[in-house]
Amino acid sequence: MSRQGTVRSALDRAADRMLTAGVVERLGIGIASVVLAFVVGLCIVAAAGYSPLIFLNEMLLGALGSQRGIALTLRESSLYILTGVAVAVAFRAGIFNIGVQGQFIVGGLSATMAILRLAPFLPTGAVGGVALIVLGSLVGIAVGGAYAALPGALKAYADANEIITTIMLNFIALGVVLYLISGPFQGEGRQEPRTDSLPEYVEFPSLLFETGSFSVVGLVVALASVAVAYVLLTRTRMGYDMVTSGKQASAALYSGVRAERTIIGTMTFSGMVAGLTGAVFSIMVLGGYVDPQGIHTYGFDAIAVSLLAANNPLGVVPAGVLFGGLSRGGSFIGITTDIPAQLVDGVIGLVILFVAAPELFRMAARRTGLGSERR
Amino acid sequence: MSVAGTIRRNRLRLGVLVVALVAALAVAVWRDVALTALLTTGFVERSIRAATPIALAAIGGLYAEKSGVFNIGLEGFMIFGAVNAVAVTWLVSGGTAGTVTQTDLWIGLVGAVVLSVLYTVVFAIILLRYEASQIVAGLAVWILGLGFGPFTAVVIWGSQSSPRVGRIDAVSVPGLAEIPFLGDVFFDTSPLVVLTLLLVAAAWVFLYRTRYGYWLQAAGENPEALDTAGVNVSRVRYAAVIFSGAMAGLGGAVLSVGLSSGFVGGGLTMVDGRGWIGIVAYLFGNYNPVGAFGAALLFGAADMFQIQLQTINVDVPATLTGLLPYVVVIIVLAAYGRTRMPARVGEPYESEN
Repeated sequence: MSRQGTVRSALDRAADRMLTAGVVERLGIGIASVVLAFVVGLCIVAAAGYSPLIFLNEMLLGALGSQRGIALTLRESSLYILTGVAVAVAFRAGIFNIGVQGQFIVGGLSATMAILRLAPFLPTGAVGGVALIVLGSLVGIAVGGAYAALPGALKAYADANEIITTIMLNFIALGVVLYLISGPFQGEGRQEPRTDSLPEYVEFPSLLFETGSFSVVGLVVALASVAVAYVLLTRTRMGYDMVTSGKQASAALYSGVRAERTIIGTMTFSGMVAGLTGAVFSIMVLGGYVDPQGIHTYGFDAIAVSLLAANNPLGVVPAGVLFGGLSRGGSFIGITTDIPAQLVDGVIGLVILFVAAPELFRMAARRTGLGSERR
Repeated sequence: MSVAGTIRRNRLRLGVLVVALVAALAVAVWRDVALTALLTTGFVERSIRAATPIALAAIGGLYAEKSGVFNIGLEGFMIFGAVNAVAVTWLVSGGTAGTVTQTDLWIGLVGAVVLSVLYTVVFAIILLRYEASQIVAGLAVWILGLGFGPFTAVVIWGSQSSPRVGRIDAVSVPGLAEIPFLGDVFFDTSPLVVLTLLLVAAAWVFLYRTRYGYWLQAAGENPEALDTAGVNVSRVRYAAVIFSGAMAGLGGAVLSVGLSSGFVGGGLTMVDGRGWIGIVAYLFGNYNPVGAFGAALLFGAADMFQIQLQTINVDVPATLTGLLPYVVVIIVLAAYGRTRMPARVGEPYESEN
């Protein structure tokens, strides 16, 4: 016991040091990555023959220029915060859950179908609506969690690399959901792959904003998931095991962490948040379920959100808001200009690339004499 | 390498294959399926064709990893290869679908590989000089491909996918093409299939029978020893990473102008996970180019199996049978997850002098 105690306190001290010492540097790297990604993006805009100034102007206008724009930015931000938390929890534990997109899709369809199938048994109106939203979300959370637990178990017990299994499960989710909504779950009388629409009374109340596809409730759910993830990681035994495994697997084993259980637990929790995102997305935005090929890849972009936040749930909030603005601005330029909206996806890739290489900025800082801290 | 030794070392792998085959046979007998209708010459030919892009990416990835660097970005480089091959073809043909010639398509293929080399040089510098996290940077390449692949298509064609530009013609060798089975599979097929087979053989010879191949393996297993022997470890790793990007780019180009007739950018693009499957192919092939090709063939066969099911009138929707390769990949990884990686993969190496 005493020995284990020493190891744990040593690890605690190391963790504290890393967290406090790194915050400023990490913030700097995050900001530098976003700025550099944007500069490269603007060069590509110019090289492809469009005006970088119009691009920037329209991005800002779309994201913040009107009440509707702000509502849509916040809608996207809520989804990025949720998926960002899902990714961050896993990355923090050293597990690369790249399958958040698949878990999000599977969770969304499950929530939709649960609501559609349960609706006849519950009263219509506000009470029934709330009950259906809660039940649907719980089903989405459960299915998302289960869909992530599978690659977790495969990693824990069969050593199957989770990056590849989760990516394969993304493709499988796309195919199976498309099959289901164009077959057994297709809405009555529909030609296109799409389920029935959710009953009108199953929706989040529109507070503050008029825009139908955004409700402050969505943002509140997102912030609540941040709080839960933060408490889980910092205040519970499970979270402690996860964070130590992520820092150093051998030290975690030595201090008594059960690796298999931690891996499966981490993946399950991550998938549950992704499943909840799916439920929020289908209730708040879609009002039914559509061809998942056409759904934005929140689960992939969330990798960038999480990395920018140094995989810290609290950091996911500002990173998610930034990406919400990027996403909304991106779809806006797709409509108002002839600059392809895919550019924003590319810029997100650049952000990930630069965040992956902190040395890039450390060397630049040393050359220019900026940020003359250690190293 | 005795045959018995090879079998002993690969008994788990072989076991997996035997169990899979027996299970497939049992299902076939149980459902009373005509086996001869399933295993046709056409099926073998289609499987090899479907295996080529996967095998090319796999050999690239295998070389990088042997030298001590993960190139998780194969999928992204394949997307760039696929779109660039069509884009270059389009530009040299003068910008109309009707005027594309065979020469244009070949120029497109080569152009895509050249561009891939340029991209990978930048990627290699970020990985090796700036010591980026290899996993995260590799994922970034995929996201970049998913963004800038369709972006390129929209800039040139105004849509996420290109128009049909045609594909590189199959070549039939007079005389040899008449041989039953072998003629159809090897002498009356796309020249890119033959090119892939030659590259697989060359990659094996280079890796196991030349000095440079030993350097490559030493860079991943014991870089200090290589350094002591007076070989620049960093240079070997740069060469391997750049080669891997070129091969993945070639794989993507083969997909768009060799097997299909243009670029498709919707969803997760036409590459649809083939780069990721390529990684599993070389893991399952135990880092051996010939083994990697064998594994790619397994995944290619899983991809083409849906056509066989249609010919014997098994009524399963194509959306579901199309998922077979992904399922097979997961089964392979679960049954054979534990691979022996090169000892020093993923670690930066800094020379003492």
